[in-house]
Amino acid sequence: MALPPPDPQFVLRGTSAAIHTLHFSCGGQEPDPPVLFSGSENGLIHVWNLKTHRVDTALDGHGRKSVYCVETMGGKDRLLSQGRDQRICLWDLAEGRTSVTDSVCTEHVGFCRCSLVQLAQGRWLMATAAKGLQEVQVLELPSKTSVCTLKPEVGAKLGMPMCLKLWQLSCGSQPLLLAGYEDGSVVLWNVTMGKALSQLICHQEPVMSLDFDSERTKGISGSSEKVLCIWSLNEQQNLQVYKTHELVNAGISDITIRPDKKILATAGWDHRIRIFGWKKLKPLAVLDYHTATVHCVSFSEHRNPRERLLAAGSKDQRISLWSLYTQS
Amino acid sequence: MAVFDTPQAAFGALRPACVQLTRAQTVENVRQLQAHLAAVSGAALQELQEYVLFPLRFALRVPGPKQERLVQSLVQCISSVLAATCVRKRELLQELFSELCTCLAPPPSSGKPAPLSEELKLAVIQALHTLMHSAYGDVVLSLYQPSTLPLLGFAVSLLLGLAEQEKAKQIKISALECLQVLVLQCDCQEHRHLDEEEAQQCGDLFASFLPGISITLSRVITGDIKQGHKTTVSAIRLFYLIVGWVMSDAQLARIPKSKEKLPVEQSRVSELMVHRGPEWSKSTAQKLSLLLHKVVESSSVHPHWKVRLELVELVHHLLSNCSQSLVDSFSHLLKALVGLVNDENSEVQSRCNEVLRGIAEQRIVVQNRALADVLSENLHSLATALPRLMNSQDDTGKVSTLSLLLGYLKLLGPKINIVLNSVSHLQRLSKALVQVLELDVTDVKIVEERRWGPPGSWQQGVQRGRHQKKYFRFFTEEKVFQLLQQVCRVLGYYGNLYLLVDHFMGLYSESGLYRKQAAMVLNELVMGAAGLGVDVLQEREVPPSVDDLKGSITSILDEYTDQANWYLITSIDTEEGSPEHSVQRSGLTARPGGPCSTVLLPSLEPQVTTRSMNSNIWQICIQLEGVGCFAAVLGKEFRLLLLSALYPVLEKAGDRTLLISEMALGTLADICEACSYDSVQCLINENSDYLVNGISLNLRQLAHQSHASQVLDTMLRHSDASLLPLVEDIIQDVLSALDQSYNNQASTFLRVLHSVMTALVQWFGMCSTEEHQQRQTDKGQSRTQSQGQHEVTMTRQEVERFFLDYVSQKQIAEGDVPDTGEEEADEVPPLAKAEPNHCDTDGEAPLPIHAQLARDVMERCIHLLSDGSLRVRLKVLDVLELCVTVLHPHGNHLLPMAHRVWPALVTRLISDDPLAVLRAFKVLCTLAQTCGDFLRQRFSKDVLPKLTSSLLSQAPASARAGPVYSHTLAFKLQLAVLQGLGSLCERLDMGESDLNKVADACLIYLSAKQPVKLQEAARSVFLHLMQVDPDSTWLLLNEVCCPGPCEPPHASLRPVTLGGMGRPRNELTDNVLLLLQRLQQQESTGPGASTREASPP
Repeated sequence: MALPPPDPQFVLRGTSAAIHTLHFSCGGQEPDPPVLFSGSENGLIHVWNLKTHRVDTALDGHGRKSVYCVETMGGKDRLLSQGRDQRICLWDLAEGRTSVTDSVCTEHVGFCRCSLVQLAQGRWLMATAAKGLQEVQVLELPSKTSVCTLKPEVGAKLGMPMCLKLWQLSCGSQPLLLAGYEDGSVVLWNVTMGKALSQLICHQEPVMSLDFDSERTKGISGSSEKVLCIWSLNEQQNLQVYKTHELVNAGISDITIRPDKKILATAGWDHRIRIFGWKKLKPLAVLDYHTATVHCVSFSEHRNPRERLLAAGSKDQRISLWSLYTQS
Repeated sequence: MAVFDTPQAAFGALRPACVQLTRAQTVENVRQLQAHLAAVSGAALQELQEYVLFPLRFALRVPGPKQERLVQSLVQCISSVLAATCVRKRELLQELFSELCTCLAPPPSSGKPAPLSEELKLAVIQALHTLMHSAYGDVVLSLYQPSTLPLLGFAVSLLLGLAEQEKAKQIKISALECLQVLVLQCDCQEHRHLDEEEAQQCGDLFASFLPGISITLSRVITGDIKQGHKTTVSAIRLFYLIVGWVMSDAQLARIPKSKEKLPVEQSRVSELMVHRGPEWSKSTAQKLSLLLHKVVESSSVHPHWKVRLELVELVHHLLSNCSQSLVDSFSHLLKALVGLVNDENSEVQSRCNEVLRGIAEQRIVVQNRALADVLSENLHSLATALPRLMNSQDDTGKVSTLSLLLGYLKLLGPKINIVLNSVSHLQRLSKALVQVLELDVTDVKIVEERRWGPPGSWQQGVQRGRHQKKYFRFFTEEKVFQLLQQVCRVLGYYGNLYLLVDHFMGLYSESGLYRKQAAMVLNELVMGAAGLGVDVLQEREVPPSVDDLKGSITSILDEYTDQANWYLITSIDTEEGSPEHSVQRSGLTARPGGPCSTVLLPSLEPQVTTRSMNSNIWQICIQLEGVGCFAAVLGKEFRLLLLSALYPVLEKAGDRTLLISEMALGTLADICEACSYDSVQCLINENSDYLVNGISLNLRQLAHQSHASQVLDTMLRHSDASLLPLVEDIIQDVLSALDQSYNNQASTFLRVLHSVMTALVQWFGMCSTEEHQQRQTDKGQSRTQSQGQHEVTMTRQEVERFFLDYVSQKQIAEGDVPDTGEEEADEVPPLAKAEPNHCDTDGEAPLPIHAQLARDVMERCIHLLSDGSLRVRLKVLDVLELCVTVLHPHGNHLLPMAHRVWPALVTRLISDDPLAVLRAFKVLCTLAQTCGDFLRQRFSKDVLPKLTSSLLSQAPASARAGPVYSHTLAFKLQLAVLQGLGSLCERLDMGESDLNKVADACLIYLSAKQPVKLQEAARSVFLHLMQVDPDSTWLLLNEVCCPGPCEPPHASLRPVTLGGMGRPRNELTDNVLLLLQRLQQQESTGPGASTREASPP
């Protein structure tokens, strides 16, 4: 019999609103403590100091509308956040500043998180759902110049984009976008050419979340059903279903593959976090702590493997931190 | 007397006396000369020195036996001449020296000193002393030539003989002082300083006397104590001066390899001369080592402190002059020195410290490898013997042994690491420490003493927590413990912290036997490493960085608070223990232990003995103490560690074992101080997020639920309303944990719920209840006012109106509400609202968090009200009451809950243990404050009949009962019911028939036969009834007893006859009359005053 699943290492409380997104930034030099950003329903972004486990600052930039995506651009001083006020804000947090330096108006009404990829030093590409119902807009940051707008063919009823993942095969190669749509399909887009390369219908319900491993060219997606779907991308850039995995309870709100590509975590509507081996999708653990839907899971990239963490944010207003590395 | 300043005048004056003395050598003549000498000035006498000395010396030289008195006076006279003049001629000096020595010379036949009188000996010694002082400049050196060696040797042996064998202290001391002058080491400053060359030559000469002098002196030093301390002191001083001279490192270094040839004519003398070559110095050092050992041994325990002080000087002198030549003796010398650090005399102590500090500062030890070796060797042998010594010695012996150990460590200073790096040394030392520090764990009291109730004042606990005395197996003296503490701290100060911490952590986990001691040592090590409370001789070169300290502390802390070391069995409480212990045990065994885990875990032992529990208690205490130490070491930096440390400490603050909880309080206070929080309150308040985390995680494990609830309990008691969001968060956890385990953990959780609700009442309840009461009284006032008005004037119309009012009020009282907009009309009929769980659907403002909590808690109470255990039921009733109080201002939410609670509550009121009935009744009273209308019907239907009947049935019993009755439960129940019933009736606005029931039941309690308290309570019922319905009460009372006839207010009305009229005085009369009087007052003075008086006591 395996060991019983562990307890969280720590539980961060005090946001007094449901947590929608989490993002670690642990790359700082020694005196800088590792940091966790959390975006919550009341429109605040909390910056958690992971040494003291307390909120260092709370950023308020989305007019008290739910924040559902937070990303860092480079270090922890440059922050991008997306909120239900239909804006994407760029923050400058260096030297204790808390100011919004720039913002992009997306006019998108859904919950689709934007996706970032670094093209070169200081140049970023961002994909976000746009005003048009089925459209995805790709912008370059920080210049905010529009690269292209990805529209499905006329007549294709994909529905709204639900989740996005920008990636490059290798640094410098042309960026590709994986998008999950409301009708349950995942589409691979060539961003520079603005055209769909492949489409795979892998779910009956909207795709809630997906993540992609560019080394193995395999991805995983979850929807509101009881199924996790793993698909692979062949040389002809065609998506095909590789494997599906049946779950006990329906509903996956977030999927994240750990940066070392060994395991992945899912955030379930059944209040549970599930850990799988990425290679064979072997179920490893069910982390049961939250008392409401888990909205997001995130892995830290701390240099010291022993200090790496998994964070999960939930509707129950708590963020649980789990130490998964020390277990092995 | 005239003074003769010029030599001529002096000559004139002295001549006759000198001539006279030359002619006849009598005492009288000598005295005359001496009298004349007194009148001569020093300068004049210098001119005449030889002239005056001549007759005196002549008299001494006259062959044949002489009178002792004459010799004595001659010598004294010479000495007075010499005192005033100085000797400028070498020959004169030598001659005088030899002549004086001859006076003491024994008859040639016997080897012993001449059997002379003591006065004479003293005179001669003093004369010699004076002679040496009067020698002018270089002249004195003429005595210290190889050629004069025999003469010098003669004098030395004479004086030594006197010093050793004389009985008189004065002579002994003078002889020793004279010897000191003779070896050119006089204490006075008049002497010329010798240059190196001269000193070297004298050293060569003195080397010949060294054996004799040192042996004799060592005999004097170790001689009878009765000789007085001054003799010993002088002897020690002489000893070290001469040894220090002859064996001086500087001089020995300059000695040529081979003996230099002296001129032939001195060949006989040269045989006497010693060549201080390496061989000689080595063998001499060996012999001296033996002597020194003897000297040190006897004088280090000499009862007089001056002797011990002189010994310190000896060590100092020899250490600073002969650190190479006498290296073999240093183990003794240092031992003596180090041992005297803790001398009982403060002067010795301070001098000793000074010397030690000097040694340390000059880096004698650090630079001298040989010395360090000697020290570490000493240390090793001491450490080896330490456990045995600690076993066998008494406390004073232990003190000196440990002082020695401490001294060695201090002297070694930074060199300690050499010792520590040797595994055998470290092991010896640590084993010794660990064995010595073994605690005495036989005291049963420690296990027995429990903490009852909530911790009262922090201050008190803190005070006691900081001064917990430990009892050790091998010693009782506090001083011994302090020394051990210092030993550990010095180790930590100089030693390699990582190495030490590692080693003792190893011991800590190696065996349960060592664990407590190892923890104690670890605590002190860390203190020492931070330089706290450590007394050292020299600064270390590199103090450890904060990060190093933090690293070590974190690892120790982790080990301390590990489940296996933190959750130990400390009691065999059955009260709440059984589930707790079994899970504790399982929790422990489930943890994968090391190879020796079976030894480690006391829980695996078949039975828990008092001894093992005591030991566990102490282990926890020591670990708690450690946390305090670490906080002190890290200061504000410790705040970061609070994340992991605060929860466990707080857990122990709520421990049932008195010692542990006090110790934990002390630790909390230490942490506060270290992290600069103003108070424990602040500490807990500002770190409640950490605590909440710990509580929440621990609640998830059955084994730790009770600890978690204890912490929560403590936390709540020290936090305020600002923490409500956190508290709310955690209470949800508690409730869900409770939902999962109603059976076994109910009582644990109820305690938490109780403290939560108490906190909520404290934070939010106060104002609202007051408000509410205010409202209640307002209501009462307006009513009585309206009723009171028409008593004033009695017209027919008013009588008529009174009756109309009466009818309408009666209708209202029976629940028949008229539609016209009266105030009662907007109170919604209760049944319409009584459906549960529809509170939020009405679209009202959302309930504040605290009220939501109260509602959630109340819901759990419903389930638990019918729990099997009386204890649980009682607790639930308490919690319930608090819930009701909190929910007061939110009637719309309270009512549905009350509806659900009611059936269970009624059962408690009607058929339960009297204790439960009592509490339930209290709850009912509280509930009545808000839910009057809701409760009215139910109360009169479900509860009142039962209450009145029990009151009626109990009345005869209480009327008969004796004084002991007031201590019974039945009495308390009666009292509570009577006390509550009045206000209950008033609050519930009961109907007439119910009021009559109440009045009937209470009437018998007005009897004088009832216990006074019950009478009072019964009176209070009636006072309340007067508020509700003064008229019927008046009637009722008058039916029992009527004070006077009633005059009808109008002639058209018939006179009234009341049942109580003209009755004889009976048991009820007194109380009834009293009540009627109050009623009268109330009617005349207005309602305000009387309502206040009538309020229940």
